[in-house]
Amino acid sequence: MIDRNQLRNIDWILIGLLILNSSIGLAFIHSSSHHLYGNYALKQFLWFVISLAALFLFLSVSYRSLVTYSFYFYVVMISILAGILLFGTLISGAKSWIVLPFFWIQPSEIARIIVILAVANIFSNYKREFLTVGQGLLSSLVVFVPVVLIALQPDLGTALTYIPILLAAFLLAGLRRKTLIIFVILGLLIGIVGWSVFLKDYQKERITTLVSPEKDPLGAGYHTIQSKIAIGSGGFFGKGYKKGTQSQLRFLPARHTDFILSVIGEEFGFMGVMTVFLCYFLFLSRLFQSVTKSRDRAGVYIIFMVTLTIAFQFCVNVFMTIGLFPIAGVPLPLVSYGGSSLLTNYLAVSLVLNIKMRRFVNV
Amino acid sequence: MNEKKIYEDLSPLQNKAQITRIVVQLVFLVILFSFWKIQILDHKKYWKQSEANRIREMTLPPQRGLIKDRNGEILATNIASFKVSIIRENCRDFEKSCQKVSALLELEPEVLKERIDRFKDLPLFQPVVVKDNLSVEEVSKIKARTIEFPELIIQSEPKRYYPYKSLAAHAIGYLQEISPEEMRSLYKKKEQGDLVGKTGIEREYEKKLVGEKGRILEVVDSVGRKREEISRIDPTPGEDISLTLDFQLQKKAEELLEGKEGAVVALKPDNGEILALASFPTFDPNKFINRFTPDEWMDLIQSPEFPLENRAIRGLYAPGSIFKLTLALGALESKIVNEWKTFYCSGSIRLYGHPRSCWFRGGHGSMNLYDGIKNSCNIYFYQIGKTMGISQIAHYARMLGFGEKTGVDLPGEKIGLVPDPDWKKRVRNEPWYPGETISVSIGQGPITVTPLQVAVYTACIANRGKRVSPYLYKKKSLFREETDPVAIQKDTFEKVIRGMWKSVNDGGTGRGSRVEEFNVCGKTGSTQVVSSTTAEKLGSESKIIKTHSWFTGFAPKDNPQIVITVLVEYGGMGGTTAAPIARKLFNLFRENHDR
Repeated sequence: MIDRNQLRNIDWILIGLLILNSSIGLAFIHSSSHHLYGNYALKQFLWFVISLAALFLFLSVSYRSLVTYSFYFYVVMISILAGILLFGTLISGAKSWIVLPFFWIQPSEIARIIVILAVANIFSNYKREFLTVGQGLLSSLVVFVPVVLIALQPDLGTALTYIPILLAAFLLAGLRRKTLIIFVILGLLIGIVGWSVFLKDYQKERITTLVSPEKDPLGAGYHTIQSKIAIGSGGFFGKGYKKGTQSQLRFLPARHTDFILSVIGEEFGFMGVMTVFLCYFLFLSRLFQSVTKSRDRAGVYIIFMVTLTIAFQFCVNVFMTIGLFPIAGVPLPLVSYGGSSLLTNYLAVSLVLNIKMRRFVNV
Repeated sequence: MNEKKIYEDLSPLQNKAQITRIVVQLVFLVILFSFWKIQILDHKKYWKQSEANRIREMTLPPQRGLIKDRNGEILATNIASFKVSIIRENCRDFEKSCQKVSALLELEPEVLKERIDRFKDLPLFQPVVVKDNLSVEEVSKIKARTIEFPELIIQSEPKRYYPYKSLAAHAIGYLQEISPEEMRSLYKKKEQGDLVGKTGIEREYEKKLVGEKGRILEVVDSVGRKREEISRIDPTPGEDISLTLDFQLQKKAEELLEGKEGAVVALKPDNGEILALASFPTFDPNKFINRFTPDEWMDLIQSPEFPLENRAIRGLYAPGSIFKLTLALGALESKIVNEWKTFYCSGSIRLYGHPRSCWFRGGHGSMNLYDGIKNSCNIYFYQIGKTMGISQIAHYARMLGFGEKTGVDLPGEKIGLVPDPDWKKRVRNEPWYPGETISVSIGQGPITVTPLQVAVYTACIANRGKRVSPYLYKKKSLFREETDPVAIQKDTFEKVIRGMWKSVNDGGTGRGSRVEEFNVCGKTGSTQVVSSTTAEKLGSESKIIKTHSWFTGFAPKDNPQIVITVLVEYGGMGGTTAAPIARKLFNLFRENHDR
């Protein structure tokens, strides 16, 4: 399926940046979890190997066929998400997992790829200058069906990561003022209903304590304060690898997952954080730049949606660790521990590579 | 080769994406400044907080529930004790610290390191116990040097204490540090270093006894001194457990077994309450609680007498002549014989080409069922067994509770074996020989039972057919299920019981257990451990040529209140060793009852 021409067009720089960021993640997963049961660093390494293999395998199928058949994938995905809601096992309070003999898979992560393909399909022949209300509602429906299913698990953090897909599509399609107003009102309505129906008390608490975390130092604001202490006490150079007193202690409950940046901040200081941000910046820049390389509409949409999804998760996670966003359970893509998330991001980047390497091929 | 396609102009789309790119770059700037503020400008503030504001979580151990006998005598309690733990996080230099601590606590440095090493998966802030049961001197010595040893903390904990030491040790069980396997499979909520019940009641009712840990969150400074308490959840003590054991009877039973190897079971036939459950040799469970006496522990598990084994539920023995009651019941019930049918005992008989002898070489003469039981005549039961056949024998043995668990509330009960042709085919892949039926007829051969099974069997006879499942936890009676009586006529039981009464009160083999005016009914047994030819080779010096000595019985005859089963390994004849032990216990029970 791949000819030599296409192989030559693989964007190795993007792959390099991808691996660089995952390696940073592996190192800090080790530092933050070496004293816990369960060999997290090794597990993550295995996921890394699997993800890399999946990335190359995924390149062999043209993204055009993926977009064409996306409707079928979408139906299967919705049935799986509904299935685990009905028959899934409850693991730490949520039905998010498919438990396989050797590992667990979080379908709500993988599903993101399919939603991206489905939305790209809708917009692949959309040539109007602005988004119509009908088109907007159709794409919202495609995104919100899985979002609601995931929010019901309940896994609000992952549900949140679907929003940038819609946002990206709307931005590209172009919003007229009238359409914008309609969707803002709709958004507000959904927000209000969501607040009262979906959000659990503890989640509401997290959002309200965002305003003043010190009011409840051992309650919902606790993790935010501890995370800030960890980052702040790291100073310019940090306390050294595996030497973080905050992160090696029990203060950060998800220190190898959602709060991994606090560990980096404490152990390697401002220098370390900036290095990580630089690597991330280069990675995101490369993705943004890739948008200009696509020769068809679906490609532009896909690359932009992938880029915005990753950028969004990055920003939410970073803001969360310094108390500028409520603790929502959104990981730092590529860096945080979590196999499904890693695999999904690799597959997403694989789509970008797929589009780039097939840009000179006739349809 | 292919004609180039004229691509659609996508630059308006792509330009929109580039605008978003600028927005993201601006967000990066915001992030950069936020981290600059936190890590550079406010660094001092957060540094101080991280040094001074460490929060330590400590667990508060709960009081374990008491274990009492049926009259409220306390068999297991808790006493205050002190333990010293190391907080690795506070060690400036781990190696040096280990040396200093081992000198202070008078521990071998290797032992200490090995100990700490076992807990290396635990977070560094969590204390690891390095020595417990500290003396007052040790406590004050460590306290006086707190500044020098910021890594050490002293905590008090309730420690299990068994005031009567080895009394009922097998029934009660003992505690030891939880093993990694147990933590994975049995008790997921427990932590490394916790003590858990390993055998007996302590294990069976661990979840009731253990209670709930308390937790304390405290702010400590960088050298580990407590600054303030943030929150505290007090521990919930475990539930007390009253046993069915009778302290007096238990104590007496153990005294009588002193110096022997064996087991005594006493239970109430009407409901299955266990009054005494003794196994000898025994051990002092207090010894296990200390976390650091591996030598003594090894001594105990390697001892050839197996003091840790609860012989009453885990010892497997051939039942010998006490099994003859099964044949008597089965033969009468299936109308193979009636009680007046006589067989002639000349002291020996030839069956299937092999000579078989009675234990009484002179011969018992002509005997009916009553005399057969009274004199425990082998010849009589050979003939019955031959007529019944192995399948019938096995059928009645299982009906009376052999070959299955009694269901006692203790871990590790053994099942024993009721042999039949199927079993032999399955396990040894050989056919059943008729000669084996003859051996099984007098409770020899491959058949094995536990003393507790024998007691339950006796209770079933005493109840004239009602089977009971024995138990130790008093409250268990509340949710006991009534079982259907076994399919044997009451009348049949009466006949066999008459034989048992004659055995004790009419000069039979069980006469050693006779108690004035208490109408004891019983049956003795003496089981050969090795065949008579092997015995001759070993010579009379060897202990193992002696037979295991059995007695099982109940009293009084018409309104049974107690069942007693005694087994003494290598005790000789059942009538001479086991029966007198039973008599003393019957006597004690009667005296206490009359008071």
